[in-house]
Amino acid sequence: MDAQAGKGREHYKRIGFMCGLEIHQRLSTREKLFCSCPTTILGKGATPSSHISRYQRAVAGELGAMDVSAQFEELRNREFTYNIYDTNACLVEIDEEPPHEPNREALEAALSFASALKMRIVNELQPMRKAVVDGSDPSAFQRSMLIALGGSIEVEGIRVNIPSMFLEEESSGIVESTERGITYNTDRLGVPLVEIDTDPYIPDPATAKRVALHIGTMLRISGKVQRGIGSIRQDVNVSIKGGNRVEIKGVQDLDLIDSFLENEILRQQNLIEIKKRLELARAQVMEPADLTHVFKSTKVEIIQRNSGVVLGFGLKGFKGLLGFEINPKKRLGTEISDYAKMAGVKGIIHSDEDLQKYGFSDAELVEIRKSLDISDEDSFILVAGEKEKAEAAVKLAHSRARSAFDGVLKETRVANDTVLCTTKFMRPLPTGSRMYPETDVKPIPVTREMLEEAMADAPDTTREMANLEAKLHNKQLASQLLLSPKLQLFKDIVSSTSADPSFVANTLIQKFTELRRQGLSVDEISDERLKDAFQAYADGEITKQAIDEILKELSRADSDVKKLVARLSLERITGKALKKIIDSEKGKSKEEIRRSIMSSYRLRVDGAELNSLLQ
Amino acid sequence: MYSSEITGFLAKKGIAVGDKVRIRSDDLDVEGEIMPKTEVGASDTIVIKLDNGYNIGIAYTSDLEVSLLGKRKGKIEFPRAKLRPNKALPSVELIYTGGTIGSKVDYKTGGVYMLTKPEELLYEVPEVSEIANISISNLFNIASEDMSYHEWQKMAEEVAKALNKGARGAVVTIGTDTMHYASAALSFMLKNLNAPVALTGAQRSSDRGSSDAFFNLKAATKIAAASDIAEVGICMHSSSSDDRCHFIRGTHARKMHTSRRDAFRPINNRPIASVDQKLAIKYVGDYNRMSPESGQKVEAMTKFDGKVAMVFIHPNSDPEIIDFHVSRACKGIILAGTGLGHAPVSTIHDNLNWLNAIKSAADNGVIIGMASQCIYGRVNPNVYRNLRILSTSGVVYCEDMTPETAYVKLGWLLGNYSAERARGMLSKNVRGEITKRLEFDENFLV
Repeated sequence: MDAQAGKGREHYKRIGFMCGLEIHQRLSTREKLFCSCPTTILGKGATPSSHISRYQRAVAGELGAMDVSAQFEELRNREFTYNIYDTNACLVEIDEEPPHEPNREALEAALSFASALKMRIVNELQPMRKAVVDGSDPSAFQRSMLIALGGSIEVEGIRVNIPSMFLEEESSGIVESTERGITYNTDRLGVPLVEIDTDPYIPDPATAKRVALHIGTMLRISGKVQRGIGSIRQDVNVSIKGGNRVEIKGVQDLDLIDSFLENEILRQQNLIEIKKRLELARAQVMEPADLTHVFKSTKVEIIQRNSGVVLGFGLKGFKGLLGFEINPKKRLGTEISDYAKMAGVKGIIHSDEDLQKYGFSDAELVEIRKSLDISDEDSFILVAGEKEKAEAAVKLAHSRARSAFDGVLKETRVANDTVLCTTKFMRPLPTGSRMYPETDVKPIPVTREMLEEAMADAPDTTREMANLEAKLHNKQLASQLLLSPKLQLFKDIVSSTSADPSFVANTLIQKFTELRRQGLSVDEISDERLKDAFQAYADGEITKQAIDEILKELSRADSDVKKLVARLSLERITGKALKKIIDSEKGKSKEEIRRSIMSSYRLRVDGAELNSLLQ
Repeated sequence: MYSSEITGFLAKKGIAVGDKVRIRSDDLDVEGEIMPKTEVGASDTIVIKLDNGYNIGIAYTSDLEVSLLGKRKGKIEFPRAKLRPNKALPSVELIYTGGTIGSKVDYKTGGVYMLTKPEELLYEVPEVSEIANISISNLFNIASEDMSYHEWQKMAEEVAKALNKGARGAVVTIGTDTMHYASAALSFMLKNLNAPVALTGAQRSSDRGSSDAFFNLKAATKIAAASDIAEVGICMHSSSSDDRCHFIRGTHARKMHTSRRDAFRPINNRPIASVDQKLAIKYVGDYNRMSPESGQKVEAMTKFDGKVAMVFIHPNSDPEIIDFHVSRACKGIILAGTGLGHAPVSTIHDNLNWLNAIKSAADNGVIIGMASQCIYGRVNPNVYRNLRILSTSGVVYCEDMTPETAYVKLGWLLGNYSAERARGMLSKNVRGEITKRLEFDENFLV
């Protein structure tokens, strides 16, 4: 990775870097996209009212072709359990009632974003079903409609095309995934979501990050989107010359986009390198065979534990390549293992690992090689487990090993390590055949009135910046606020209280950063508490300095602001009370009085008031 | 269907549905495949499928620029299963009649419509061929709301034919809306039945991965292939989860929800059996058992008199509806009465009193049966004075039959027996439709 760090745009051009983003943003509509449930997301502590369990399978799409990624998920034959919260999910979410009319508020928001991105809005929206059989939707599809085409944005002089934007349903949130199945929460299922795609010509990872930031800001200033963790997600599509398109899902932290991209470049480069070496070595992947007989009285713990069968296959000319590191702490063996795991086994054992460590005896190794008809120079891969699972797993591992000759595979991968910024295989990249019409919802004609409304409502970052500057008289603070997730909160506080905008902005941006550095979890303070604190300040009940104390306390434990003020004795001393204290200091100079009072009542006395009383 | 203007516009350019085109308008410039038009959309749009799989609608104007990029390749076809006979498995006749279970997306109406062949359904559920040696009768392809007794007759004949030829059991795939009428009809029509006959369907079309069709079909096939139940029943989900299907007696089933998977409930009865995900059968209620030695052929008594009506009693209802049915030569009427089996007979306003209309119909030889719109529970002719007035005016109280079962039974009785016998048999048990004891069930809806 270091080899590429700091390389200019030329470097990325040379390696044939292609990159596009898909930004998914949840909307803050009152109701969900196809039913009347609220769009609020329940906290982790919420108790489900009931649950159901389902199985799903791949079916033929509209044009008769089964989508490869849908079939792949079915192979895993998992049971899906859905937690149902009566307040946040109805029969529609759990696929027990047809969808209602699409939510107008969501539609209007999506159209206004399309307008902001200078897109061409489709004349008639056609609701579609996107087959998804990973269980994240109880209906086995996600409802989605293409809203607009052909837009563009300009980010620091670079024009990036926005070829398409969609309005769709949010999927279920995963609670737990075990060998047997996956449990999902249905509260967020069906919340409206816009997906904004860029074209694949973002020239370098740093620009990718800026594009994401730009689009995120546009969405946020609309005031029509949800905030907080998980409310915006970036999927990154990337390939290099000789590689293939890979989609990385679930990068939640914008700051990590470029690191993930650099690692994917490295991964693709290494897979291409492996392909070259395999060709040179005339490598070969042999057919799988049953090796259970070899391990009748084995001391290999991992095999003892997985009672069932042991299957394996030989690989000629792979020596050293299974252990070849293609990403930090990820080897070709890891890639093959990730495929095998899809069938529900714990992983694979391969011959580039330290086999002594597993406890293989020499006799066993000889017997494995004999049974697989390979020499000492060749490699092997073993899978142990219940017969059915092991058979499926070895099939998957075998197919992945063979694909090493193809270099990089078209895959959907998921960001699974936010420290090393590496990904793991999720499923093959879906194709267009996963789409078919949502026949339960009528197409929606886009009228002239809807278009005009969209134009009027389009969020405008330039206008927003001008507004903020006018309010704050501070360009830097205004631009920090514009890019900050706290923007909407700032607007809410300023419009609902008479607190000074600059003070609010400084607190939310600078003070928050300062407190975060001190290790305080200020971002967990609820908007309502923050509004209450600023309200108390605006009403003259507390001083500016007291706000800091309140923030510190609230970041430790949630509490009612008024009670907190009383508990910490933060009530502002003002007017007559302050005058009385001043009078008790008689005989001292003004400066001495000021210092004495501020040292005793720093948090309770407003400096400006004190000064004016002292005059 | 596209308007003739659009079709003509495209035809002039040599373009048809399925072709790949480029369309340019003031707003858009796109390439894609022309999709068949749904009737429900705005009439002046052309729907195309883009490469990313999404459909979009483009407003039609006569100056739209459309150019042909390529003609459609091949026909749109769904994959079909190749049936491989396996004589070692019990033979089951799969009788296919249409319904949601065999439906796919249709472009004519924009809704779900019956399009598939049974082999296409089996392609989605290959496990069925591992449960039984399946042979298929493709009877017809209609929605259950379009079904009549003519179709029930064909179904009964087909089941009888297959069983008499040696099938161990039969599965009938059918639309769910009127499935409980069909199950009652088959129950009455199949005399000396000595095999399981399982009707099944789906509340979610089989073109979606979450369809209940797959499990329903497997469970129904298991009942037909392995149970010793010599009755007609409905085999569908017993809960919203894919964990269990239940097999409900054909004369005691009813669709109790418009859309849930577990819409079918046993009424005034326990389910006969349940089938779990692993396809293990658990017997729950009492049932007629198959007798291997009987050697008797099943007889299809398929005659049915269509001149029977069902009338729903409600406040303010006009009794002239009875006169109307009598004037149309109706031979029997099932009243879905209120509560224990009431119709208004002591009203303050004479024009709302049903007594004379009912009496006169009964005097004219029309059989009037009374069931309850409560669905659950038994009707009773004695508890209230009004009930006694009705029962002495010639109304037959149909015990614990649902109005639907009573209706089907009366049509079947009038088709096969004299009016006098039919009247007598209406309140007597023939095929398990009347139960003498209603057992206490803590949660009677389940």
